[in-house]
Amino acid sequence: MRTVGQLAWKAVARWEMLLVLLILAAGVWSWTLSSFFLRRANLLDLATPYVFLGLLAFGLTFVVIAGEIDISVVSTMAVSAVCFAQLWDSGVNVWLAAAAALALATGLGLVNGVLIGVLDLPSLAVTLGTLAAYRGLAYVVLGGDAIAGFPTHFTNIGGGYISNELPIALLVMLAFAVALGLLLHATRFGRYLYVLGSNREAARFSGIPVMRTRVTVFALSGFMAGVAAVVYLGFFGSIQADAASGSELIDVVTAVVLGGVDIFGGSGSMLGVLLAFVLVAELRNGMQLANWSGATQDMVIGGLLVGAILAGNAVRAAQARGWRLGMAGRRWKEVHHAEGQEEVSVRATLKTPGGGSTR
Amino acid sequence: MNTRRFVSAQALAEAVVRLRELGIFVALAFTILFFSVRATNFMTADNWRDIATDVSMVVVVAVGQTMVVLTRNIDLSVGSIVGLTAYVSSNTLADHHGLPIVVTALIAMGIGALCGLGNGLLVAVGKIPAIIATLATLAIYRGVLFEVTHGQNVFASQLPQSFLDLAAKKPLGVPSLAWIAIGVALVGAALLRWAPWARDFYAVGSNPDAARLAGIPVARRVMTAFVISGALAGLGGFMFAARFASVDAVAGRGFELDVVTAVVIGGVNVFGGSGSVLGAVLGALLVTTIQDGFTLMRVDEFWKIFFNGAAIVVAVTVDALITKRVQEALRRRRRAELLTAHERAAET
Repeated sequence: MRTVGQLAWKAVARWEMLLVLLILAAGVWSWTLSSFFLRRANLLDLATPYVFLGLLAFGLTFVVIAGEIDISVVSTMAVSAVCFAQLWDSGVNVWLAAAAALALATGLGLVNGVLIGVLDLPSLAVTLGTLAAYRGLAYVVLGGDAIAGFPTHFTNIGGGYISNELPIALLVMLAFAVALGLLLHATRFGRYLYVLGSNREAARFSGIPVMRTRVTVFALSGFMAGVAAVVYLGFFGSIQADAASGSELIDVVTAVVLGGVDIFGGSGSMLGVLLAFVLVAELRNGMQLANWSGATQDMVIGGLLVGAILAGNAVRAAQARGWRLGMAGRRWKEVHHAEGQEEVSVRATLKTPGGGSTR
Repeated sequence: MNTRRFVSAQALAEAVVRLRELGIFVALAFTILFFSVRATNFMTADNWRDIATDVSMVVVVAVGQTMVVLTRNIDLSVGSIVGLTAYVSSNTLADHHGLPIVVTALIAMGIGALCGLGNGLLVAVGKIPAIIATLATLAIYRGVLFEVTHGQNVFASQLPQSFLDLAAKKPLGVPSLAWIAIGVALVGAALLRWAPWARDFYAVGSNPDAARLAGIPVARRVMTAFVISGALAGLGGFMFAARFASVDAVAGRGFELDVVTAVVIGGVNVFGGSGSVLGAVLGALLVTTIQDGFTLMRVDEFWKIFFNGAAIVVAVTVDALITKRVQEALRRRRRAELLTAHERAAET
């Protein structure tokens, strides 16, 4: 008979399956709202406006698995996008400007990383501070202006299509999902993050370069914010200092947590985050179709975020209890079994002296 | 021997806190000096009344935030709670002109307390990290506000005159809102000094596990802190309505950052367990004075946002470095004492 623990373990292993089911359910809901939903063009294009959020979520996944948090990613993206636009506006080659934006974003992530990894400050407070500070930088650089009119060969990254149907942004995102998935699941660096997120002391004692890994993970998160900035510019074609200053942060955090990444660090998968991102994008799309106000949509996503963590906590609690139950059951069985054996042997000893006399 | 060491360690820790407050005080003095030289109209009674009114909203909400941060948590949802309760206060008064203003304030605090209870349940019972939980409720309470308002505003013309007069009144030359803030700060400081359940906030924040083993109901204390923070954010919302009269669905947006900056600059440690209301008040004064000075000097609005964020990072860094130094000093002292005790034992 299966114990509660085994069932709960199954539930965790099937978190991704649950996400797929949720995606299908949300699809059905969207389909009842508008029959256009199921057209191939719409299905392919569904996630395009949100690809930059997915890229931010991928970066954040590494940070959260390592047991930290980076809420400054949206501001990092805004600063690097703004600086890109200023550089381009002042005559710098568009690809050179993009490279500069990537470098800047990585540098800003590195600042977070040094404050957190080297000075050992709490990531929550540091990135809350840099969330505001980087946003302020974006305003300082661009003021209240907007810059638009980037060349098409550049904006294609975020807003172009292959044969008028397949969004390039989607391919960019999938490529990063695969590459980062390999980095997370198939390299030593990736394994370090899981150890770091489970138990930092144990990580230190087992010889993992804790400081370097923590700094790197924030630099990586910053780099992904730079990539997101490029895609953002491509899709929207214009930039202002207040870019992504609203509900974007909560979407990113929700995608990560709903994707099954333990908010306390130490577990999570790239596939889960990708699926959760698709779910969030699909829900946004559906709520847009249903003509819900932005604040109402945010409320739903906020509820989803809270619900995802509560569900994760409940599963883990059941798992812990179930394991204990399962263990107790096993021990009981062992004892029982042993008792039975003893009984048999006692009987045997009882029998032997008398030989066949009793029967 | 043992008790003497304990007392001296406590004295050292307390001295550090006093020094931290003194540091803010000196920074404040320098800021005031700087702006009174550089910014015109800074040292006028009118400007100081403006600062007092602005700072009082921050102070009221910061006292609640202080309690939350002391328990090693954070409440980012206060911006939305302020917006929600500001709308509810002004809307209630617009519909019921005869309603006593105190009742309106109590309604706002009640709604705020309910929001705080929601946060507390998510954090203490649901075991969600406070920053994530209150980030979510920041969006959720703002969504509730949009649902309630349907995008409509309350205008000053709809409000009873008695309410509009409230923010303009200056008993003893001090704006009435500042009196509210002084009252809240005094009560908050008194609670944190003398009320056993409020003292527990320090214990919970210093070491939650030790607090639990010492028999402190940790979950209940964390909930209490969040409820107080919510209720005070509600009072802050009421004050917001009194100050600005016309309220819309984006009221109080970003206010949480001002409050967190004030609290963190004021030396309330984000690791929990250390800090005071006096520090938070000084932090709020410093932040507001600098912003006011910037406005008078016609510095771009944008620099203020940058300043808030940079201030958080700097304050957190300084605090962490100080904490590390103090811990090292304590460890050294303990080692020295153990050595002398050992020598004495060897002599006898």
